[in-house]
Amino acid sequence: MAQLPQIDSLATPDKAVAKSTRKPLFPAVNLPFIGIVALLVSFGLVIVWSAVSNDPDYSFPRQLAGVAAGIVAMVILWRFDYRRLSGMTRIFLIVNIVLILSPHIPGLGTDAGMGARSWIRLGMQIQPGEFAKITVILLDASVMARYGGKLNDPREYAKALGIMLIPFLCIMTQPDLGTGLVYLFIAAFALIMGGARLKYLLITLGAFVAAIVAVFAIDELLKYQTADGTYEYRLLKQYQRNRLLVFLDQGGADMSDEGYNLQQAMIAIGSGGLFGKGLLQSSQGTLGYLPEAPTDFIFCILAEELGFVGALALLVMYAVLIIICVRIARSCGDLFGMIIVMCVVGMWMFQILENIGMDIGLMPITGIPLPFVSYGSSFMVVNFALLGIIGSVWSHGAASGKKEAYEVTH
Amino acid sequence: MVVAIVAAIVALLLVVAVILIVFAVRNRSKGSFASVKKSVRSIDSVGVSSSLAESEAKKPAAGTKVSSVNPADALKPRFAAAGVLGAVIFGALSVRLWNLQVLSGGSYAREAAENMYTNVATPAPRGIIYDADGVALVKNRSSYTVLADPDVADDRDVLLRLSAVLGVPYNVVRQRIQDTTSGAQSQRVVASDVRLRDIAFISEHVEAFPGVSVQTRTVREYPYGALAAQTLGYTGSVASEQLESLSEGRQVELGDDVGQTGIELAYDDLLAGDHGQRRVIADAHGNVVEVVSETQPSRGSDLYLCIKSSVQYTCDRLLAETIAPNGVIGEGRGCAGAIVVMDVRDGGIVAMASYPTFDPSLFVGGITQDVWDVYSSEEAYNPMLNRAIGGQYPAASTYKAFTSLAALECGICTPQSTWDCTGSWDGWNTGQPQRCWDHSGHGTLDLRGGIVNSCDTVFYSIAKDFYDKGQTGEISSTAMQEFIAKYRLDQTTGIDISGESVGRIPTPQWKAEYFKNRPEEAQWLGGDSTNMSIGQGYVLVTPLELAVAYGAIATGNIMKPHVLKEVRNDDGDVSVTVQPEVVATPEVSQVDLELVRDALNGVAMENAGISRNFTQNGVDPATMCCKTGTAEVAGKSDYSWFACYGPKDDPRYVVTCLVEQGGGGSATSAPLGAAVMGSLMAYDAGNPAQMGYVEGFSGQSVEIQVSNSGRTD
Repeated sequence: MAQLPQIDSLATPDKAVAKSTRKPLFPAVNLPFIGIVALLVSFGLVIVWSAVSNDPDYSFPRQLAGVAAGIVAMVILWRFDYRRLSGMTRIFLIVNIVLILSPHIPGLGTDAGMGARSWIRLGMQIQPGEFAKITVILLDASVMARYGGKLNDPREYAKALGIMLIPFLCIMTQPDLGTGLVYLFIAAFALIMGGARLKYLLITLGAFVAAIVAVFAIDELLKYQTADGTYEYRLLKQYQRNRLLVFLDQGGADMSDEGYNLQQAMIAIGSGGLFGKGLLQSSQGTLGYLPEAPTDFIFCILAEELGFVGALALLVMYAVLIIICVRIARSCGDLFGMIIVMCVVGMWMFQILENIGMDIGLMPITGIPLPFVSYGSSFMVVNFALLGIIGSVWSHGAASGKKEAYEVTH
Repeated sequence: MVVAIVAAIVALLLVVAVILIVFAVRNRSKGSFASVKKSVRSIDSVGVSSSLAESEAKKPAAGTKVSSVNPADALKPRFAAAGVLGAVIFGALSVRLWNLQVLSGGSYAREAAENMYTNVATPAPRGIIYDADGVALVKNRSSYTVLADPDVADDRDVLLRLSAVLGVPYNVVRQRIQDTTSGAQSQRVVASDVRLRDIAFISEHVEAFPGVSVQTRTVREYPYGALAAQTLGYTGSVASEQLESLSEGRQVELGDDVGQTGIELAYDDLLAGDHGQRRVIADAHGNVVEVVSETQPSRGSDLYLCIKSSVQYTCDRLLAETIAPNGVIGEGRGCAGAIVVMDVRDGGIVAMASYPTFDPSLFVGGITQDVWDVYSSEEAYNPMLNRAIGGQYPAASTYKAFTSLAALECGICTPQSTWDCTGSWDGWNTGQPQRCWDHSGHGTLDLRGGIVNSCDTVFYSIAKDFYDKGQTGEISSTAMQEFIAKYRLDQTTGIDISGESVGRIPTPQWKAEYFKNRPEEAQWLGGDSTNMSIGQGYVLVTPLELAVAYGAIATGNIMKPHVLKEVRNDDGDVSVTVQPEVVATPEVSQVDLELVRDALNGVAMENAGISRNFTQNGVDPATMCCKTGTAEVAGKSDYSWFACYGPKDDPRYVVTCLVEQGGGGSATSAPLGAAVMGSLMAYDAGNPAQMGYVEGFSGQSVEIQVSNSGRTD
């Protein structure tokens, strides 16, 4: 005779179960995620306001408009089911190539007086390379999602790597090495998180180091002497070399523009001290010693005005945002969604490292904006769009996530 | 060190904290899923009836599968790697920021302050230069300079407006703004010394002139134009080589005006005030954003000179009227000239004029190339040269006063000695007689008569006696030179302005040195002695040297000449008074001196022309002692000299006049000297001559007619 079911052996659901099975207040919204984003964007807006308030070249309302447009983009993408994009590798590739190469279209593209053809004119100047960061992430994620988290075939690996390098090669025609590095970092995160074999990853890394060495070596061979006796290089521009030299020789008496920029950036940050000089009190920024203060060197303004405390607050906010995003990726039941989120995380980490690192002499100087803080509506919209996609992954991709787990257990 | 260790520990803790948070979050989420799974499995394991199990168990199993299929689980190490990467990035940034902001914050704060604050020196107005009676000869005035940013050159509208307001052609305005000589970043001078009206217009329409600014500077003003121009000198922007050779304690900023010549140069330290200091906040382009603190500049000390401006004006006017009556050299007498008036009692320079002269106001704000070219040309006869102290000329018959004294002192002759002048003299038996200026001869003369008539024959004989006695060893072979040297005609006078030249008393030794490359000419000849005795040959003096030497005849003392009388500070208190300085007292017997003085008095009284000159200027010839001179210069008209002092019994002033290529001394220079003496006497009587404005020389000249019809000493 079969025993009756022993009711008392059934484990009572513990607190965690109770929590995870409780109906959330706003089921469609991830409250901590939205909260930290709101905090970060507000903080960034305060810094931008402080940095642009004395500079007629920049407009704070424009930055606000960028945030508003970004929020609209975020809401739309949040509601959109990202999984419908998973099979569109080819389309992403085409969109990427067209976007990144669009500044080369005569009459549409412009170099905005900066030397690189990175902008297009559509009523206002837009940097398509920034928007392409979204499609690059989607492309890389969709490529890696095919392999189900395990990529051990060398031919498939080479194919995936080749596709991912295409956006980088396209952006180097502008040329825009900074954005190109961002693409490479996204690709690296996609390969790592997509489960590519460790051996292949290490070989790829070795190949990249070799390629960089080769560029310098070939450049040394190709250099030619100009009329005034200085050497002119063909592959790397002189300013790129200067940035590297300045980075390698810190504290040297380098009076080039790049050396000056780094020196002024460090003076700005260092003079902020523990608590800073107060909002609007940045002498380095308002007196014009820091070039491009509201865009590339915005962190210097923050560090000068709010000190170490303010700078650390920003870093903590970034860390919290990234932790929340990693949690979303971790609990995502869908490989495509997980890789997307980790690529975004990778991109942010790289941009934070590069932008802050260049101000304090940890990284060479490149023009990469600081997410959610730097002045510029293009990148603001891009970041909000990425937030929307992460939200979409959270709400649609959680196969084992909250909603479906709830359905299963009940 | 301790702080650094604390910092490292804090940073380490931070990194650990971040990593812990990462793992804690991961564990928590894993834990909750695990408990859910466990509870599901426990339901599964309760072993309800098998028939029930088959279909029912599928669902939870499927649920389990979904959980285990969660792709993140398989990639757990990679998440950990990403977490570590993030921790390293944030940790490194935090540590570096801590280092920069907290540990080195102080030094960076100093650098930021250095960036922000700049000390700007505001130029101090120079002191004013007055004459002996407080008439301002050099003053200050405000000058407005219009400056423009370099990029204004691209703004056609602004250029057109500037052109219209300033009255400068469009292309010139553009050219001046494009000129990079003052530095690529600095503002360019569009126009200096702009009229107040135009400045007001620009200031009232700022919005129409973007990038244009107005600067006020203090510049020199010369109320009497070129009056005593070479003596007073001019100012100009400091040159970089001058910056290096400054006296200690003198602070000069690049762009400051400093004295370049004359009094302005000699007393630059006194005239220059102390810079004001402004501590300003400046932006990266050097624009002043805010003035933090300011100390006012203090004006330099005022100088009072010995110059009596009415006499000075008379000298400048007379030279101009004589040499270039219509402003053109060559239309009057001579091509250039100089007058020195010295107070014989203290060596004070009462007047010092040199013609041609320049207008010092042309140097305000930098002289233009056009004007400089005119002044540098040969036709302009070098107006920058102060001929009174820097011109070297053969002394001619003015030398005879010293030759006479030498002869008396060395026992060559006595007051009673007589000579017979036939108009020519051939003491050397060469068959080529030397001639007296009066070819018909003066007859029998004693020494006084020789001086009064300026008889060359008398002095040829004296020179021959010197030469002969020198040869026999009775006296030194250079006895005449040694005596004349007591009057320091071969040394600078030590006047307090620069540019002084030195005269020459030729000696056999000098000649040997001078002609060492032509030994056949290096031998001292008897003719050299005779030429020298009448101030010709190799003899050179400057007008100032001659004035000082004649002053020594008048008083017995060689005074050190000086232009400065006293220095007064800002409050008008005298801080420095120049003390008279006797340089030397030549040893000479009073009897001999009296004889020469009497002879010089005879020149004034017994020459009808000279006597008339004095009388016409209200001067009693009986109180005057003077000597004319006519120097012969190869290929040129004669140089005209006149030296005089007076009053005879109580000497006050000595005057020397020189006109280059002016002809005979009595014809050209004597009237000048008499007129100057007249103005001195009028000044002392309380009726100084009228003052007026002196024009700078125009630079125009016509060729001088060379006419040596014979000297009329």
